[in-house]
Amino acid sequence: MIRRLTITLLPFLLFLLLWQATALLVEQLRMVPFPTPWQTLLRLGRLAAGEPLSDASLYRHVGDSLLRWLTGFGSAAFAGLLYGLAAGMFRRLELATGQMVHLLQLIPGLAWIPIAILVFGIGEPATVFMIAMAAFPPVAMTVLAGVRQLDGTYLRAARMLGAGKRAIFFRVLLPGALPAALSGLRLGMGNSWRVLLAAEMVVGTGTGLGYSIVESRWSLDYTAAFACLVVIALIGVLVEYGLFQPLEKKAGRYYYLEGGPQP
Amino acid sequence: MIELRQVSKRYGSGADTLQELSLTLAEHQFTCLLGPSGCGKTTLLNLIAGFVAPSSGQVLLQGQPVRKPGPDRGVVFQDATLFPWMSVLDNVRFGLQQQGMNDLQSTAVAREHLELVGMLPHQHVWPIRLSGGMRQRVAIARILALRPKVLLMDEPFSALDANSRERLQDELLRICDLCPTTVVYITHNVDEAAFLAERVLVMAPAPGNLRADILLPSPRPRPRTSQAFRAITGQLRSELDRLPCCISASLPDCLCSVEK
Repeated sequence: MIRRLTITLLPFLLFLLLWQATALLVEQLRMVPFPTPWQTLLRLGRLAAGEPLSDASLYRHVGDSLLRWLTGFGSAAFAGLLYGLAAGMFRRLELATGQMVHLLQLIPGLAWIPIAILVFGIGEPATVFMIAMAAFPPVAMTVLAGVRQLDGTYLRAARMLGAGKRAIFFRVLLPGALPAALSGLRLGMGNSWRVLLAAEMVVGTGTGLGYSIVESRWSLDYTAAFACLVVIALIGVLVEYGLFQPLEKKAGRYYYLEGGPQP
Repeated sequence: MIELRQVSKRYGSGADTLQELSLTLAEHQFTCLLGPSGCGKTTLLNLIAGFVAPSSGQVLLQGQPVRKPGPDRGVVFQDATLFPWMSVLDNVRFGLQQQGMNDLQSTAVAREHLELVGMLPHQHVWPIRLSGGMRQRVAIARILALRPKVLLMDEPFSALDANSRERLQDELLRICDLCPTTVVYITHNVDEAAFLAERVLVMAPAPGNLRADILLPSPRPRPRTSQAFRAITGQLRSELDRLPCCISASLPDCLCSVEK
């Protein structure tokens, strides 16, 4: 236990050391102030205590970012799941639209900016649209691949056992695609979170973590920008360890498919 | 019971896997399809199961053409393909529920058949917790519970260790004795065919898929060490020895996709 903790924490400590060294070096060589870990932590503490940042509290920024993210990601995840299952069930749909989803995957999230702004104008819907466009393809494609994997084995067995379309969808496709869906959601979540921050920087949303980072840069308040980066990392850690790992563990208990670890 | 009339099957534009095969299988007979890999055994089974359609010719079950898979032709695959998201009991109940049974009935029937294959103590376990042999037992139970007219088995025990394989062969014969079923059993193993079959069809790659049709002397089970058993394996081996070895199949059976 202690050994594992050391192994996990050691790189983190090294990272902090590297950060400190970089800060000192930059200050010495380039004569510009570079926030140290300690300064960042202090600033984060003040922000957490309610100090305003770009005309709003840190909580407001975090809340707004999360809300945008959940709206965009939630709708994309729902659509992606539905599409993946439908395309898995009806081969014609896959033939007609599969290539388009692949193409979507190739377009970087930020490239949607002109389209998002033309369609929705500057503001909330444009950001949400970009987030959704970044999250949809990975969810749709992994779910489809997951369903395809069921073909030939579980689908064959289900049809042989006399299952109709309804039973095949709800009792075979849906639970069978769950492990794939989980990894697709994870990919989509990461994609959309990154796009969200970038979109906030560019679209000018007025609040949000990405917006605050850009604003801090304009006002040369780099410590605040660093504090925001720490918050972003913390949210990532929270989602990973608080949401996905427990979920995957739970799913893994029953869902080891062929080739999974044997008791 | 099962009749194939001049059935040919090819995948895509490749060569014929089966060519002009005609065959009649009697009711309540245990038939083994014996032959090297790539000779079209699995294709033949898939045709009867309804997973693939013949390129030409007809497959008939009790005079009716086979169009799609259904519970009257239960298939036991090489891998058990139990649904990993259902308990053992629910796996067996699945097919019964599809036939419109309510919870009480399906549970009772499922338990009865789990008992038959000796898996009742494991009814609440998840398939991942079972050994390969135990999974095949459950796979057999879920098929038998549906009272199929035909039992199609595609090398069901070939992935098991030698001991489990022989135990399951014993069990299979015992079960066939209890509830008479028409069985079509694929194997490339001479001993397995000699132990299980009443009739052995030796298969080879097209053209001329059917190389020999052998009715075995009736009393079963045949003790594996007996003189009679060795005579049968000797006969089957000499049939197989006439076939070319190392067949390059144009498309392995396992790779062909399910036709809808």
